[in-house]
Amino acid sequence: MPAQPGATASGYALDRPARTIRFERDFAASPAQLYAAWTEPDQLRVWWDASGKPLLRCEIDLRVGGAFSYVVQDHPEMPFAGVYREIVPNQRLVFDALGAIGRVVLQARDHGTHMIVEIECTSDEQLEQFVQMGVHIGTSGTMDNLVRHLDGAAVPAE
Amino acid sequence: MAIESSHLDRTFAALSDPTRRAILSRLALGEATVSELVKPFPFTQPTISRHLKVLEEAGLIEGGRDAQRRPRRLNAKSMKDMADWIEPFRQIWETRFDNLDRHLAAINQKET
Repeated sequence: MPAQPGATASGYALDRPARTIRFERDFAASPAQLYAAWTEPDQLRVWWDASGKPLLRCEIDLRVGGAFSYVVQDHPEMPFAGVYREIVPNQRLVFDALGAIGRVVLQARDHGTHMIVEIECTSDEQLEQFVQMGVHIGTSGTMDNLVRHLDGAAVPAE
Repeated sequence: MAIESSHLDRTFAALSDPTRRAILSRLALGEATVSELVKPFPFTQPTISRHLKVLEEAGLIEGGRDAQRRPRRLNAKSMKDMADWIEPFRQIWETRFDNLDRHLAAINQKET
């Protein structure tokens, strides 16, 4: 394929005509372990928040049409919430979340798993919104800490 | 971030049209003149020229060096801006997957 506008290094691609953001990564764990990490609240709680803090709440109704909701500590008002559209244990999860379609594909490789995560938006405006909201939720916790630190305010012990 | 949101708005508006996206896909293969760009479309040259003007104003394309043929080509800087715009989002998801990687490694260690 010729260089698509926006395409960057391996492991990540922005397919602009398809309004799809794609991540690919290899893990030294089995597809079953990856699937469990994506579908068991106790596991998602540990790894989902990029800030490293455990989730405040994580609810999962693992069936087609079932809802899920991940709530990060820094932004309890903006849960990552959606509904499962397709569930193939240890292979594939498709869900609607925040107006976009999310796909998690797990492929067994030698001693591990190749994971593809795709986020497909329905319009350019939505793609822009999705990215901005994601950045907002993902970074402002860090910004809050920095502001507290710079203010010299007593940071409450956690 | 360095890009103003009004510029991004214009970029997104320019990209919202399927013909303009098709023109960009064609230009991703290399520069092309207006008459070359008209060929695959059931449109007249003035229609394509109007689309080119929108893309030019959004900074997505620019004129090539040959003044007589007036070829158009992708604007590399503008394309880089689009990539920069998504960079913080990419980093958050990569961090998330780093967490996942560590989490799975911890589980595997416990099991062995």
